[in-house]
Amino acid sequence: MTEVGHSSERTPARVCPLRPPQGRRGLPPLGLVIGFVGIVSVPLVAGGFLSDIISYPDTPKIPIFAVQTLTRMTLAYLLSLGFALAYGITTAMSHRASHVLLPLLDILQSVPVLGFLPAVFIFFITVPTIGLEVASIILIFTAMVWAPTFGVIAGINAIPQDIKEASQAYGVKGLGYLRQVVLPAVFPELVWSSLLAWGGGWYLIPVEEYFAFGGKLYHLDGIGYYIAESAAGQKLAPSLFGLAILVLIIITIEELVWKPLGAKAEKYKYETVSAPQTAGPRRGRVSTNVRKYEERLVSPIFSFFRYERASLASFLEAVHLRRRFHVSEKIRLQDRMARHSVLGRIISLVIALTLIVVSIAVLRGIQFRPLGDALQVIQDNVGYLTLAFDTGASLLRILIAYLIALAWTLGAGILIARSERLSKLLIPVFDVGQSIPGTALFPIIILLIVNPFKDNPFALNLASILLLLTGMQWYLLFNIVGAVKGLPSDLLEASSAYGVRGSRFVKEILVPASYPAILIGSIQAWGGGWNATIISEYITDSNGVHTVAGLGALLQTATNYPDPYASAVVITAAILLMTSTVLAINRLVWRRLLRKAEKYKMEA
Amino acid sequence: MSSTEPILEIKNLTKAYVNDGKSITVLDNISFQVPKEFLAIVGPSGCGKSTMLRIIDGLDVPTSGEVLFHGQPVTSPISKIGVIFQSFALIPWKTVLGNVEMALAMTAISKDEQLKVAKKYIQDVGLEGFETSYPKELSGGMKQRVGIARALALQPEVLLMDEPFSSLDALTAETLRREVLDIWTDQAYPTNAVIMVTHNVQEAVYMADRVLVLSGRPAKIVDDVVISLQRPRSQRDPTLYDYTDRIVSKIS
Repeated sequence: MTEVGHSSERTPARVCPLRPPQGRRGLPPLGLVIGFVGIVSVPLVAGGFLSDIISYPDTPKIPIFAVQTLTRMTLAYLLSLGFALAYGITTAMSHRASHVLLPLLDILQSVPVLGFLPAVFIFFITVPTIGLEVASIILIFTAMVWAPTFGVIAGINAIPQDIKEASQAYGVKGLGYLRQVVLPAVFPELVWSSLLAWGGGWYLIPVEEYFAFGGKLYHLDGIGYYIAESAAGQKLAPSLFGLAILVLIIITIEELVWKPLGAKAEKYKYETVSAPQTAGPRRGRVSTNVRKYEERLVSPIFSFFRYERASLASFLEAVHLRRRFHVSEKIRLQDRMARHSVLGRIISLVIALTLIVVSIAVLRGIQFRPLGDALQVIQDNVGYLTLAFDTGASLLRILIAYLIALAWTLGAGILIARSERLSKLLIPVFDVGQSIPGTALFPIIILLIVNPFKDNPFALNLASILLLLTGMQWYLLFNIVGAVKGLPSDLLEASSAYGVRGSRFVKEILVPASYPAILIGSIQAWGGGWNATIISEYITDSNGVHTVAGLGALLQTATNYPDPYASAVVITAAILLMTSTVLAINRLVWRRLLRKAEKYKMEA
Repeated sequence: MSSTEPILEIKNLTKAYVNDGKSITVLDNISFQVPKEFLAIVGPSGCGKSTMLRIIDGLDVPTSGEVLFHGQPVTSPISKIGVIFQSFALIPWKTVLGNVEMALAMTAISKDEQLKVAKKYIQDVGLEGFETSYPKELSGGMKQRVGIARALALQPEVLLMDEPFSSLDALTAETLRREVLDIWTDQAYPTNAVIMVTHNVQEAVYMADRVLVLSGRPAKIVDDVVISLQRPRSQRDPTLYDYTDRIVSKIS
């Protein structure tokens, strides 16, 4: 496996620039943040909003809120890190365990975590004060944990065969092997996946710091609460201010923590020069199962993974190091389900189902009853027709949001490809845009769209689609921009040398070159969209609840059923329906398209 | 087969990049003329040979100086000049036929005609039967044949080759060299001038009528060697070694 690179030069002396070295790479991000805050503050000051912010009673508490939010995030992250290392190392080092642990991880991480939001809160609300805090940390943990876990596994699998053999030859084993070989190998992937984990965590923060349940509003002090509470009180200025502070925090952490760590991680990377295939039966301590597993991926999807890495790498030079391994994980997970041994799959499916059902049962403190009862309960409370209709409604809304996202991101990709100047201008803007957690925009969208039009169904659906959009569009954008930026320069030159330009260039070169990235971005966007349905279809503010028909709304409504058994059954049904819809669409649509798109990938 | 009237004139070509506020000169005031001939340009790695070729095709702009094609300045790619790339630069999602046809849209000929021409040149480079194959199904040598067919299909007056054989294994490279020479000497092809950039001095001496030797960065012409050997040449001709030695001593 030779790493994809733009040049396969053997002579390091050939540094002759084929194209003018790019000057400064956009603006320095911190400067950009200051610029962003500046842009936000101009209308605030101009509109006389500044006094609104100052007079808002919670404003002086912002530093404390920031600390509280950050503490929650940090605790959840430490939990995730511990879990990721334990689960990842076990999976990667034990042949037998990996048969079940790998597919189990796949299923668990494709369950929409937000679906558990109501159930977890119901459980912890009974414990005063600390209960809510614990619940929020657990929820953030469930949003954070998957990327680092896959990261650890991928890191261990990336240890080259010769290093393993050398360790064996020099008697490095047990804890020594763990410390000297495994942990350093895991470090780079862990850094990138942690960045993603934090992104996932931030997405949840506004939701779990301010939510309604059973007609009652609950909150936890924090930045998310500040934004939501001020928006609910019709105060646009403070909510925008809170948003700016949140973005400032997010970007500062990236700059001060992840970027330096990312730079440090570079030295732990193995140069992936083609590993000798002579390893034979002795493969050291790392499981052959994981290896076989990786080998089985050598098919369209694996090639995409390599292609994506190459194109992303070039994109990451433009934007700071972000979203790197998201892609690889998602792609691998597409394939995992399909390619793992049937037995392993069945066992893991059973475990996952049991986990879901038991956790809901425990959370709601209910007894198990026969399956027939459960089906009857669904029929009585929801009705199968409604269930189907809700699924369709959610699907339709996601589709509309997806089409909007696809249209604008493709346009942006074309602009970026065709103008270096526009690209320098747009990429930092997109970068800041995508660092805003979509959920933090919810209260503001509600303030601007839902409230003025009361419960006009059109306004509600529009708001819901906009909310979905915030959870979907960036995946597409970043994949497309990555592909466009990663177009090999020789193809660009050949196109130019043979007069392929203008609309022909877009049609024959740019769109086909982005096609795999569009598909991968689409898969991620749909995943994000399904997750967002849960909070975008059931909107609460101080005026009460606004709902549109859909699976997400059903999930939330079901938590309010007086009968805990009915509630648990309907929640389970909705989660399962959602998960199986996601998996079905992946199989029926995306996997087929991915296979067909094989020819669009660049050659290694 | 030299004739005096120049097809290409390269005049006072200078190329400099600005990097971290420092200006790096890659090409330093280079001038030469290309009549009807096979010209090879050799020089150490990173000296700017490829940059020069790109400027000649109009893919890059010089800092100062100009390129004249029959007296007309070249500022963007034209159909009278074909290019062959070291990395083949084939579009992965186009078939062999599609890759060759891609170039023909530069010309004024009709769609039907384009198809006919493309097929002819695919045959000429020995890829008959592979028209509907995709690049990744081909070996390196076959890919470069597609690259050659794409360039030749334009019936260019000038053919630019950037390290055309460096990505191929030794045997394939040898075969392709001979085939390119056959095409070059075949009167049926309208190509009057070939400029080949390479760091392989033996290859340059074996193939070219004249070899320009460039110095390291910033590149200047340090020697201009006419290879006065009859064609077809033999790789074993001892005179070739004399030329090679002379050029290598200039480079190192």
